[in-house]
Order: sequence, then structure tokens, then C-alpha cells
Amino acid sequence: MNPEIRAAIEELLYHEAYLLDHRRYGEWLDLFTDDVVYRMPVRVTRERRAGSDVDPTAVYFDETKASLEKRVKRLSVRSAWVEENQPRHRHFVSNVVVRPTERPDEYAVRSYFLVLRSRGSDPDVDRVFGEREDRVRHVEGQWKIAARELVVDEAVLHTINLAMFL
Amino acid sequence: MGALQAEHFRKIREAMDRGLLPQWVLTDPDVWALEQERVFPRTWQFLGHESEVPVPGAFVTRWMVHDPVLVVRGEDGEIRAFLNACPHRGTLLCTADAGTQAAFTCPYHGWTFDAQGALIGVALAHQVWGTELCRAEWGLKPIPRLERYQGLLFGTLDPAAPPLVEYLGAMTWYLDLLVGRSGGMEVWGPPHRWVVAGNWKLLYENFTGDPYHVQSTHRSTVELGITPQRVVRGWQVVLPHGHGINVTQYLEVPERPYQRTPEALWPRFREHLNPVQEELLRRAAVLVGGIFPTLSFVSPLHGTGEDLYNFLNLRVWRPLAPDRVEVWSWCLVDRAAPEAYKRAAYKAYVDSFGPSGTLEQDDTEMWARVMQASRGWMVRDKTLNYNNVINYLMGFGRVEPDPTFPGPGTAYPGFVDAVSRSTHRFWLHLLTDGAEEGSGEA
Repeated sequence: MNPEIRAAIEELLYHEAYLLDHRRYGEWLDLFTDDVVYRMPVRVTRERRAGSDVDPTAVYFDETKASLEKRVKRLSVRSAWVEENQPRHRHFVSNVVVRPTERPDEYAVRSYFLVLRSRGSDPDVDRVFGEREDRVRHVEGQWKIAARELVVDEAVLHTINLAMFL
Repeated sequence: MGALQAEHFRKIREAMDRGLLPQWVLTDPDVWALEQERVFPRTWQFLGHESEVPVPGAFVTRWMVHDPVLVVRGEDGEIRAFLNACPHRGTLLCTADAGTQAAFTCPYHGWTFDAQGALIGVALAHQVWGTELCRAEWGLKPIPRLERYQGLLFGTLDPAAPPLVEYLGAMTWYLDLLVGRSGGMEVWGPPHRWVVAGNWKLLYENFTGDPYHVQSTHRSTVELGITPQRVVRGWQVVLPHGHGINVTQYLEVPERPYQRTPEALWPRFREHLNPVQEELLRRAAVLVGGIFPTLSFVSPLHGTGEDLYNFLNLRVWRPLAPDRVEVWSWCLVDRAAPEAYKRAAYKAYVDSFGPSGTLEQDDTEMWARVMQASRGWMVRDKTLNYNNVINYLMGFGRVEPDPTFPGPGTAYPGFVDAVSRSTHRFWLHLLTDGAEEGSGEA
């Protein structure tokens, strides 16, 4: 793996986390290609012999660029109460592995994520953690996220909602 | 009754008789202990939909508050519900959420049960056991009662409970309309599950008796045009045993009637509904309500793209503690609907009422805020020195039932707190074994 490409892709992921944690959602949207597929399937508990515990029929998110834009727009209106007291998010990204794909301008990028959210003075901290499988594409001199699949580790989420992006 | 005395219940009833509720009953640990003894085990609780266990051996595991439940279809095609624990030493038996298998083996000592609950395998049976073990006596313990209505499975721990249809009362008329309208529904995917801050009574009430919150809590969806704004009129219908439903209808029959469902379903509606139900559905905008104590439902219109879609969202508010609830959320679609419509309807559900949904996000924020304001002494003081009673006065002693409403139950026009007041009275009736009945006024 070319170390320069790897470093540039890592930089993209860290920059993305920074933009989300500072609610710069407009700039965050610019990191995605127009044909992005952003999905988070439901994780369930299954017996080992029953196969994958990622259920392909059910999702927490199944987004296009347009629907992500709509979610961002909603968070910005005055009566989006979930954002009113500016909950504090921290996106941790680690264990980044970059692999080439069949397309010369696109790389498969696996990473781990841990997102914590603090709301007001509530001692309860919301948490979401798991693994991301991204497709990162080089478009007009910039690296952009062309696909994201979020595999969450909890079958019962411990966050009061998924108002945040992951 | 522990720390709770007759005096406390009398004060609760007196507040209710004035359209109020002492706020301390939401989170009080003694109330919570008594609810686990007298409210949940004596009522019918939703366990799932028959489409979740379609074939012999198909199972789901569920919870009735803290009782683990295994719902499984036997080789004979019958659906049964058992305590999900090995009767030998009380170990949680099946740890998967769902699956299909012919038998369930407890890993502790190696006892095996078939999908009909019979003990079919005992480890080292001939070496260590003799006549003292009668296998017929050591099958899985059935949940005392399991009954279904329109494919919805309910269980109760009370062997003497009234039959499910009697408990549901006139709610069956509305379930025919919601679930039976096209000949049957199916669950799309496994349910969403997440843990929120809130008291179960408040969450039940939020769906079942509180359309008033929509204009403020969910204003953002109106501001963005996600929620349709059309001239509608609504009723709140009080049903027995703490159940209730809110019906909103368009004044004129909309261009695309029957909640914008595909035209292919309309003849089915005419076939499965009586003319009164069909006319109600033809004009319906949103139907939202609940079956006491822990099931709520909403049948709305939603969409984030060009069009709006209809689905049935079922919610179980599984209480974990007085201030914590595990939410279970299912999306149901008409089995006869075209596949493309089902997919679009599921997406509309995720975007609105799933945990990432634009409507859901703000609800959970409000419930958490009520809990944050319920921990102090001004709320917890049971002698009500600080008059910490919350307000269910809307329409109280003023709004009369509308005799022209076509469905069963007591229907009040517009915005009222009648269902919540009725729910509170049934809750107190259960909590006190009928000692405090409250007045009959809704």
C-alpha cells in the first residue's frame, strides 16, 4: 500500500471526525460523493451456527446524499430540540486498514469507531461503537467517501437516539 | 404494600379526580416494585407478530419486563410461549434474538428441549439418573396464557386473566382496521431496540394520549415540510382497561385515499372491513394509540423524498427501571402490498420513527428531561407539600363526547387528556387491587 495514499485517507477520516465534533455539517457533507450510499444495518444476537449477525433487511440508516442533506437541514432548524443545548460529540476513529479495489481511483477502508455524546449536565453518556467499511474515491484532486457501511456492536443501542452521524 | 399506605393511594385518587397526577408516581421505587407485582403480571403484554415465527422451529426471544420469554412455533404448527429458562437450574436457555432450530440445549448440564417445550434429552441419562426424574414433569414452563388477535401475539402471567379479546374490548374494532384491513400484515426485519431515559407510563402516554405534544416537540418536521399539513379533524377515543386511540381524518376524501396505500390494496380493504371502518380508513390521516400497559402503535404517513408512505409502527416500552425503558420498535406492512411499496414504507419508518428518525430524536430528548426534573424532593415528597401534581386538565369537565363519531368507545373531539386520565384510573385500580377506583368521569 502506497504510504502517501494511506496517510491522505487517514487524514480524511480524522478531518471528518473533527468536522462532526464541531458541528460543521455543511463541510462534512462535502466529504461525500454525490452517489454516496450510507448504511447502518441492524445487528442482532444469533447462535453461532445461524451465520451472520448483521441483518441485511433492517437498518438504522439507509441514506443517499439527498437524505443526508435533509437530516443536516433538520438539525439546523430552531425546533430541533435534540440539538438545542448543543450536545457534545466525540468521534474516535482507529485501526485504519486501506486496501486497493478493482477501481484504480477507489480504495476500501476499514476502521473502528467509537462515538460518545454528552448532553447538558446529564451524567449518562450516550455511546455507539463498531466498525466502518468505507469506499474512498479520488475525485478531482480530492478524496471523498463514496460508500459507508456501519456495523454497530450493540444489538440494543445505548444511546437515547441516533440524532448524530457516525 | 411496603412503604406505600392507603393514605398515599387516596391522595393519588383525589388528584386524579381533579384531572391531575402527583409527579412522584412516575419514578417512585415503591410504586415501581408494586407495578412489577400487580400491573405487568396481571395484564396482557405484546410478545410479537406471528409472521416473526413463520415455520416450525422458528423462534424469537422476548421479555415481559424482566421475565425472559421464548416464543416458538412447534412441529405441529402451533405457536407457544415459554419461560426462556432451563427448568433444571434456572439458566437462561436461548440467548439468540431469533432463529430457526428444532431443539434448544442448555449448555449448563446439557438438557435439551424440542420446539414444543418437551424435555427430549438429558445428559448421561442412564448413568446418573433413575426413576427420580420424570421427564414429562421437566419440560419448559409455559407462559400461563398466550392468545392472539389479528396475528398479534399477547401473553399474560395471570392464569385467571380475562380472555385477550375481552381485555382488548372495543380496541379489536380498531385492530381490525389497523392490522386486519388487507387480510394480514408482516413484520419487516427484526425490531429496533434501544435504551432511553424515561418512565414507561410517560412513554405509553406520549403515543396513546398526547397528540398535543406534536405541534411543539415535532415542530421541526412541520417547519421542513416532512409532516403533511392539511385540514384535518381528530378525535381521542377512550377504550376500556387503559387503552386508547387518536383518529385524525381529512375533511375531504383525499385524492389518494386510504393513507396513500397502493391501489392494489383498496379492494382488500373493502373485503375485510365493514363499511364504517372502510369509510374511516378512506379519510384517515394518522391513527395512533396504545394497548395498556406497554404497547403503543402509530399508523402515519411519512416520507423524506417525493412521496409519503404508510406503515404500522408497533412499540413495546419495556421498563428496565422506573427511569429507564428499552424501546422495541417494529415496522409492519400489508402482506399483499407490492414489494417496492413495502421497501419504501420501511424506509419512511426508519426516517421518522426509527431511532435515527426525525420524529423520534426529539421525543427521546423530552422524556429524558422529565426524568432529569423528577429526582428532587419537591417532586418526590408524597405528602404533596409542594403541590407537585402534573396537568391532565385538557377538556376536563368541559369537552363532551361526540356521539357522531362512527367507531366504538367514548370519542372526544379535538385535543383532550381523556385517554391519559382513563389510563391513570386503570393503573391505580390494578395497583390497589381495586381499593381505589376513582370517579367515572373521563
